[in-house]
Amino acid sequence: MAGILIVGDLAAGRPGSEFLELAGAGAALAQATGEPLIGALIARDNAAVRQDCLPPVQRLYLIRDSELRHYGAAAFVAAARSALGASSPSIALFAHTLETRDWVPQLAAALDAGLVMDCVALSLDGDALIATKPVYGGSVWGEFAIRGTLRLATLRPGVFTPATPSDKPEVMQLTVEHIAVNAVTMIDEVAAAASGGVNLKNAKVVVSGGRGVGGAKNWHYIEGAASALRAAVGCSRPVADSGWVSSAYTVGLSGSSVTPDLYIAVGISGAVQHLAGISAARTVVAINSDADAEIFARADLGVVGDYKEVLPAFVKRIEQLKS
Amino acid sequence: MDIIVTIKEVTDPNIPPSYVKLDAQAKRIESPFGVAPVLNGYDENALEEALRLRERHGGRVTVLSLGDDSSRKSLKRALAMGADAAILLSDPVWMYADSATVGRALAAAIRKIGKFDLVMCGRQASDTDAGQVLYWIAETLKLPAVSPIAKIAESEPTNLTVHRLIDGGHQRLRVQLPALLGVSSEINEPRHPTMRGTMNAGRALIPGWKLRDLGIAQAVPKVELRRLTVQTRTTKAQLIDGSSDADRGIALADKLHDMGLV
Ligand SMILES: Cc1cc2nc3c(=O)[nH]c(=O)nc-3n(C[C@H](O)[C@H](O)[C@H](O)COP(=O)(O)OP(=O)(O)OC[C@H]3O[C@@H](n4cnc5c(N)ncnc54)[C@H](O)[C@@H]3O)c2cc1C
Repeated sequence: MAGILIVGDLAAGRPGSEFLELAGAGAALAQATGEPLIGALIARDNAAVRQDCLPPVQRLYLIRDSELRHYGAAAFVAAARSALGASSPSIALFAHTLETRDWVPQLAAALDAGLVMDCVALSLDGDALIATKPVYGGSVWGEFAIRGTLRLATLRPGVFTPATPSDKPEVMQLTVEHIAVNAVTMIDEVAAAASGGVNLKNAKVVVSGGRGVGGAKNWHYIEGAASALRAAVGCSRPVADSGWVSSAYTVGLSGSSVTPDLYIAVGISGAVQHLAGISAARTVVAINSDADAEIFARADLGVVGDYKEVLPAFVKRIEQLKS
Repeated sequence: MDIIVTIKEVTDPNIPPSYVKLDAQAKRIESPFGVAPVLNGYDENALEEALRLRERHGGRVTVLSLGDDSSRKSLKRALAMGADAAILLSDPVWMYADSATVGRALAAAIRKIGKFDLVMCGRQASDTDAGQVLYWIAETLKLPAVSPIAKIAESEPTNLTVHRLIDGGHQRLRVQLPALLGVSSEINEPRHPTMRGTMNAGRALIPGWKLRDLGIAQAVPKVELRRLTVQTRTTKAQLIDGSSDADRGIALADKLHDMGLV
């Protein structure tokens, strides 16, 4: 048996938006190899699968176990191993998230399989899976050949064209075989204080603040603009490193990749590592006092100015336009 | 607490894209003339945290790097920051090695060093951005790997309480030693080398180990780099006009409104 396996998470009955993107990328590989496209979803709760949001896969494995509610590498590796055991794929694809970048390499090492993470393009060349991945923050791209009976890749969210949900695939339940007991025990999980309740990763509008905001005491400018736009709040890495806000808000290479229609960068210089997280943002707006800042080379619209003057006037005008 | 910290020397990550240079094979990013390579930032965070653990619990901190001869400079910097010993793994066979090969070589070196309670690595290197080597080390040594770590909240000689970042927050985990941690930049602000440390480091001898010193065979790589290409950006923002910053803020709101974005 062979196949192209796509592995995602299922929460509240729905797979994450990345799952459809995996299906899009996987379908192209399935077509090129003549192998079937197979799905596996790791359920994070007890909700039943909603059939109307599933991609066109030949079979769908649903993996449920109480150990999968909270993230832990050992349980996720075991879950993926069940799906791999059931389908013996030649290629397995995952979305690139904070969690997969921890457990997928552990899966690769346990199986001695080749893996490239954070891919932006995939193709085939003979027996090799060719994976393109940004390196050096994103200013250089590397093209890698992955070989072996099982080849693994994680895909950057927002880059691959999603498949359209289609007719109901056959769903098969799988159990987790055997979770390695290890020396790590969870005490608890701490959610970052949600800002206006808008989830960063799925937000349509994001307002992000950088070091130029000048300190935690000024962060209300960012929060205010975000709430006027019903947007999620994001930040650059130095903002989280300095503890102005939780690092759950970090956008970029070491944080989240976001896919909004509108991304507003305030006091952010536009380092490649930050831009790596907004490659899928539709319209980027930069507000920066330095006309030579790199961010203006990525942004579609720019305001050169002091954000402390620009943002309050902007917010006031937005409120007028809304009413 | 005996700690081994793996470090990598990398091309300075802050070089603007237009100055980035590749080697003749287009397989390595080279430091442009006059820009010295640096110690990978996350590795510096890992070393800083190891030094703090040693200050609390005693023991030794050994830094280990796989790289070419120039990596001795970064190892000396680590010694100057306070590490007790440094070892370089250097062999032409590792020139374009994949993560599995590098991880297994570092794991073999850690075995050769012998006694340790904790292995600390940066969560990823800023040149390859691969983020895999730590897991191949952990798998080879059968250690639990926990990453990315934003804080060590409590430490005792046999276990640690750490904050591990997850999507939307963090987990508090108790980790029994021996273990391997992947360290993130939130954890600390690395110290600068002292004058005295720098002088001592200058005199330190750094052993160089080759593949044959590690007693391992070279496996066929599963991942092979074909080529690198430098990405150039072309778009340029349309700047919003206005007579003052506030005016430009208003014009921006109108523009986004016209575009149907707000
Ligand atoms: C391996 C690695 C991973 C990384 N991952 C990430 C990541 O995931 N995300 C990330 O963001 N960074 C990341 N970085 C860090 C990155 O290289 C930059 O250092 C960082 O993005 C800079 O943040 P900044 O733009 O907020 O700060 P700065 O570069 O200091 O820029 C501040 C900007 O604010 C502007 N400014 C100042 N005052 C005002 C004002 N009053 N009004 C308007 N503008 C003002 C300035 O002109 C400047 O452009 C990473 C680095 C490495 C090496």
